[in-house]
Order: sequence, then C-alpha cells, then structure tokens
Amino acid sequence: MADDKLYDFAIIGGGAAGLSAGIYAERYKMKTVVVRGKDPGGETAIAATVENYPGFKSIDGYELIQKMEDHAVSTGVELRDGEVIDVLRQKHCFDLLLTDGTHLLSRTICFALGARHRRLGLPKEKELTGRGISYCTTCDAPLYKGKEIIIVGGGDSSVKGANLAGEYVTKIYFIVRGGKITAEPVNWDRFETNLVKTGKAEILYNTAIKEILGTDKFEGVRLSKPYKESDVLKAGGLFVQIGALPNNEMAKKLGVELDEKGYIHVDKFMKTNVDGIFAAGDITDGAGPFRQDIIAAAQGAMAATSAYQDLGVHGGMACEVHALPIIAPKSIPPRNKKKVP
Amino acid sequence: MSVIIYSTPTCPYCKQAKQYFKEHNVQYEEKDVSADSAAQAEMTKKSGGFMGVPVIDINGTIITGFDKPKIEAALKS
Repeated sequence: MADDKLYDFAIIGGGAAGLSAGIYAERYKMKTVVVRGKDPGGETAIAATVENYPGFKSIDGYELIQKMEDHAVSTGVELRDGEVIDVLRQKHCFDLLLTDGTHLLSRTICFALGARHRRLGLPKEKELTGRGISYCTTCDAPLYKGKEIIIVGGGDSSVKGANLAGEYVTKIYFIVRGGKITAEPVNWDRFETNLVKTGKAEILYNTAIKEILGTDKFEGVRLSKPYKESDVLKAGGLFVQIGALPNNEMAKKLGVELDEKGYIHVDKFMKTNVDGIFAAGDITDGAGPFRQDIIAAAQGAMAATSAYQDLGVHGGMACEVHALPIIAPKSIPPRNKKKVP
Repeated sequence: MSVIIYSTPTCPYCKQAKQYFKEHNVQYEEKDVSADSAAQAEMTKKSGGFMGVPVIDINGTIITGFDKPKIEAALKS
C-alpha cells in the first residue's frame, strides 16, 4: 500500500515533543504528519497528575495530551495511528514504513519516540507481567486496594507512583538500589509526609531485587540483603519504575549519533549529526536527565524550526535535500565539552 | 453485541479504549475494578489471572490492554 503524498516533516511519535513539533511545523506551513506510535501520548498519557505544565495548575496527563492532540489537529497536523517500523533513505527523502504496510515519504523527519520502561531483567519477570508485576502505577495501582506492594525505583516517577498507589494500598515497600532518592521536592514532601512518616511506606535503601518469586502469579521477591531477618519479602504486587531506555533502534540504523546511554545526541537546535534528521523529547540527550513535558514541548518546537530552516536553505530542491549515501555522518561535539581558546 | 471494559479511574489506556468505542459508536458497559471487588474477580477469572487494565470482553473474546487490532477483529467477528 503506497501513500503518494510527500511530506515536508514526518514526526515519529505522538507525545508532547511530537505534537509540539507538529503544531510549530504547521505554523511554518510545512506539510506535516505525526505517526502516533505504539503508545500514543507517550509518558504524558500515563503521567497521572501533571502540576508543572504552565497554564494548568493540575491536570490529568491523559487530558493534557488530549488537549495537545486537539491543538495539533486544529492547526492542520495529520495524526496517524500506527507505528513506524522502519525508516529508509529513498533517493533523497525518507521512506517511513508503517505497521499497516503504508509508506510515507518525507523530506525531513523527527524522532520523538521517547523511551520505554527499563526492566529488571530477572527470570519470571516477563511471565508474571500482568500477573502481579506492572510498570504503570497510574494504570494498575488501584487494582491492589487493601494489599501490600513493592515499588522498585528511586527517581521522581517512582515517587509519584508511590504517592498515587498510597491512596489504594495498605503498605509500600520502596526498594532503592542506591543510597538516595532523586525526586522533585514537592513530590518527595508528599511521599515523606503522607506515606513514610505515617508508616505506610518503608524505604529499603541499598537493596536490590535478586529473584522474583511466584509461579502463576507474583508472590514476592528475594532481596540482596535481609529485611527483618529474612531476605524474602512477600507482597501482592511489584511495580518496576527503574528508569527508561530510549527507543533508538531506527535512528541508530540511519547512522544517528547516540550518547553513551543510547539517547540521540542533538545540538541546541535539536539537529542530529545526520542532515534532515531531527529529534526531540525523552529520546534525546538535549536536557540531560531532566525529562519533563515542558522540555519535550520546547524541544519539539525547536526541532520543527530547525527542519523549516533546513528546508528553506535547500529551498525548492524537494527530495534533493540530502546527499546520498551517508558515508561518514558528522559528529556533534559532546554537550559538556567546550573548546578551550 | 456485548462489550464490557474493566477499568480503573486513572488508567490512560482505559480512557483511550473508551474514546475508541465512542468514536466508533460502540456501546459498552464499564466496570471499575478499583471500586467493585466482584468485578475485579470477574475480570481476573475471564482473563486467566491477568492483573492489569483494561481488560475488554467483546462477545466473549477477552482482550488484555488497549490492543486496537484485536479489538477491531473482535468487533467485526
């Protein structure tokens, strides 16, 4: 199935970064498509309550992303369901293959695919996912009403997840591999005040999960060190919130430079090392570990602006913009290294 | 046609599924498993022990998660 349209800008991923890029691209009158991806709305959609996006004192993450989608569609952005499964150079354009077999051609592209939940990588984890193991507190914590659960994490998302879960469960064992928790102070204050000080949550620092217990359903974990004289901790559910892995596979295949953790390396204009390829949001190293909706949206706007300028520089050349083949993609200097005069 | 969605109030994928049904004029019954323990037991029984939402029952076909291709196929059959 072929789609004979030629887009100026194809955005892969429909989260905050991708939708913001779409809104800006339409303002530049670029013919734009956003392919929503496997998890439409990205992390924003499952973020529970968002309290740090300007204009909204408190808004459900799903509602926020719906508003972004509505905004994007109202400006003329074409939103496509489905997932881009491959991107190829097609002469001087990019050929995007979608899950339904559709091909989309575009002069420039933007990776806004975000990141996926990191897994523990332990035996039984896959088999017991959905049987007591979950990666989404926003979705599944209410199912554990009246039960004890384990949350393994240490970052802001895990603390936010605990704050939500605390409304339903009787006890949270919060397992942290290291010796500290890194969370937004406002989220930490809620966690400490409402859960830790009340005894509803107990933090087990410097502790790792060594083994997942259970056959047909999750029953507990074996810890790296004893808790109350036992290394077995039983619980009704396990929520894994140990960070994310960037969805970088297609970018990597196209020769896009990644940082040491696999995030797409971008300059301050959200350009990658490959002409015509831009990136925005959680998939990039643009703001270091600070991954927020407001950052993603700003990066999306910048990526669209850069794509517009790129097309302007090469005005009228249509699919002649990019030279083929990519023999040696240029390298962007690492962000933290400045030239010494 | 009988369509039941087992959901929780905060679940974004449940919201997406309900939005999909509304857009396609599919009438559905919603059961909040966070507030209704009988509904939760019904959901886990139907899904063979699955503890996640949404679980969608379309004329006896059980779908876990918001799996659009499977939903489309079940609605057509």
